[in-house]
Amino acid sequence: MDRVDLDTIKMLPFYCVIIPLIASFCMPVLARWKKEYCAPFTTAVTAAVFIITIIIGNHVIKGRAISYAVSGWRPPWGIEILVDPLSAVMMMLIAGISLCIMVYSFAAVKYELERIVSGWYYTAFLLCFSGMIGLVVSNDLFNMYVLIEITGISACALVAAKGTRLSTEAALKYLLLATVGSGFILFGIGFIYMITGHLNITFIAIELAQVRDQYPILIWTTLSFFVVGFGVKAALFPLHLWLPDAHSSAPSPSSAILSSLVVKVYIIAFVKILLIAFGLEIFHETFIRHLIIVLAVIAMLAGSFFAFVQIELKRRLAYSTVAQIGYVFLGIGLGTPWGLAAGMLHIVVHAFMKTCLFLCAGAIAYQTGRKKVNEFTGLGYLMPFTMGAFTISAFSMVGIPLFGGFISKYGLALGSLEADLPLLILVIILSGLLNATYYFPMIGQAYFSQDGDSNHGEHGSNEAQKKFKRDEIPLSMLIPIVVVALGVIYLGIFPGTILKFINQTVAVLL
Amino acid sequence: MDLELILLNFPYFVAIILFSMGTLIVLTQPNLVKKVIGINIMETSIFLFFIAVGNMHGGVPPIYDPQFPDALYVNPLPSVLMLTGIVVSFSVTAFALALIVKLYIYYGTVCAPNFMKLK
Amino acid sequence: MHDYATRVVFRYMLLFVLLYGVYVVMHGHISPGGGFSGGMIIGLGLLLYILIFGQLWNMTFRRMILDSAIIFVGIGGILEVLKFIIPYEHGPIGVPGTLFSVGIISVSNFGIGILVASTILGVYYMISEEA
Repeated sequence: MDRVDLDTIKMLPFYCVIIPLIASFCMPVLARWKKEYCAPFTTAVTAAVFIITIIIGNHVIKGRAISYAVSGWRPPWGIEILVDPLSAVMMMLIAGISLCIMVYSFAAVKYELERIVSGWYYTAFLLCFSGMIGLVVSNDLFNMYVLIEITGISACALVAAKGTRLSTEAALKYLLLATVGSGFILFGIGFIYMITGHLNITFIAIELAQVRDQYPILIWTTLSFFVVGFGVKAALFPLHLWLPDAHSSAPSPSSAILSSLVVKVYIIAFVKILLIAFGLEIFHETFIRHLIIVLAVIAMLAGSFFAFVQIELKRRLAYSTVAQIGYVFLGIGLGTPWGLAAGMLHIVVHAFMKTCLFLCAGAIAYQTGRKKVNEFTGLGYLMPFTMGAFTISAFSMVGIPLFGGFISKYGLALGSLEADLPLLILVIILSGLLNATYYFPMIGQAYFSQDGDSNHGEHGSNEAQKKFKRDEIPLSMLIPIVVVALGVIYLGIFPGTILKFINQTVAVLL
Repeated sequence: MDLELILLNFPYFVAIILFSMGTLIVLTQPNLVKKVIGINIMETSIFLFFIAVGNMHGGVPPIYDPQFPDALYVNPLPSVLMLTGIVVSFSVTAFALALIVKLYIYYGTVCAPNFMKLK
Repeated sequence: MHDYATRVVFRYMLLFVLLYGVYVVMHGHISPGGGFSGGMIIGLGLLLYILIFGQLWNMTFRRMILDSAIIFVGIGGILEVLKFIIPYEHGPIGVPGTLFSVGIISVSNFGIGILVASTILGVYYMISEEA
């Protein structure tokens, strides 16, 4: 079985981008013909891509990166697709989480969206999916820009799909700010093309190492353009303004995919440009590292503070995302092997945790209609599976051992020791405690609250409520929540499976 | 910096000024349609910048002519890239206008301060 | 727009705008031009016609334009994407100075032109139906 044809395996990452793209073009016609086939078709496509990504991951882990020149044009001129272990693990993450969210959205789309937009919803979903996978595997800057735009516009469409006043407003805000961000990115790409004359990242790295001393100011400018552009896209703290509105007003499958995947792929692209194209010497010489660390620390603390004062559940989760993005950027800014690996691991862990939390929020709203953080009374008994998953993810978010979040935070602490900045450990612990202050009250209220709904019932009903019932949400919503929650526990106990991939790339980068 | 250098590189200066103007318009104008116009100005300045990067003095348009096989062509790649950029700009504009129409139905105005508050 | 001058001028200009659009569409592979630019000119010409003379076409026709825009975008997108799947197959290079010497690509320019024109009209109709 190990006699795999090398050319076939080289084409596979390309198919991962192309198959969802073709399927998304088919979707409007399919929606006009048979509306009920849209969701199974999308799920089938996502599942097929997930299987392909697992094959790619199995191939790449043996130390052979896949490089493929699209349509036969060789790299300096054509588009190159490069799958290193980090890209492979991100592809698997994107496909797997998307599959879970897709299964969840069977029932959720029927509940949250109007029937007429559901076909277009799946179109936007598939476009976003293919854009994200393409962004992770692409090795060409301009191709990256096009995929950034595809991901951004379709993500706006995912937000706007709900059609309410708030979500339209949030989508417009997201669209305007994201376009400003991608404008900055495109200008940065223009500067790089001006300096080096290449668009392929590998060739840029070679060329930039030679001409670096001739253009000191221009390289500073380029780096700052990239930081602003990707900062807007990835919601780094002072530039996060679009995120809370967009995440809280979108339908819950959309907020899960936005928060766990869309924001993260921009970080992967940023890491590629920063560490591969510009190279480590520029990274350490300029003060870009210090800027990123400062912004990340502010994000970790301020995001948690903002989350603490929110009343609405999804809004609180959205601000929590701002804080967690800070962790990832902190890992990048540290620039040490443990720091970078932990940052990348936190992308994976946070994708699982935040997907689980958003899906739980959607499920709670589906069954009980509650959307505030102080309405959790008795939920632990009303929907035990959902609240169990919620608890697991919240514990992981705080950083309790045995859950995924602990490993990445521990790694970040090790990384800050390696980088000789031990004060950062204090910040990490403080941010973890702040997380605890806004997650634990919800859980405590769900399981241990006494006041309950007893005011409109006789005295005995409070005791009757303390019995575990089965959740009344459809099975297609329950299974993804449970699977993702189990994923969080798996990452906490066996983080080596993912770290094996990440460490290979980190060893090459640093 | 002497005047000669500035005159030689004036497309870059124009591009940067237009880019700053576009960004300022997007971020400060209260009218939503003006915000979209600002985005268009911004993207157009980037197109200008790319095409200025591809230009070279004394170059002719890159159309193959059998009579002059050794002509000095300008770099066609940035222009081709900007064709994609124009498509992206067009789709962003269309999408933003569609959203603005929906907001106009909800609010009866396209003026942002009435509803686009920071929360 | 009920301005007399615009109506009279554009009544005679429309033909030339469309002709110029077709001209740009026909060139494209080995001469300056292309499906996107030409389709844009055709679409904007038709759009200007609608803006000046009002919504002359009835509802059925508008629905047809919307549907055809969706279907053309779908088919065109699939064809554009499929172009990349077969590696090392770039078709004939073509003879300089001729229009239709590059096989399928010169035909596909027309498809791109119709796609872009119908997309512009489709976007306009979608927005104007909402308002």
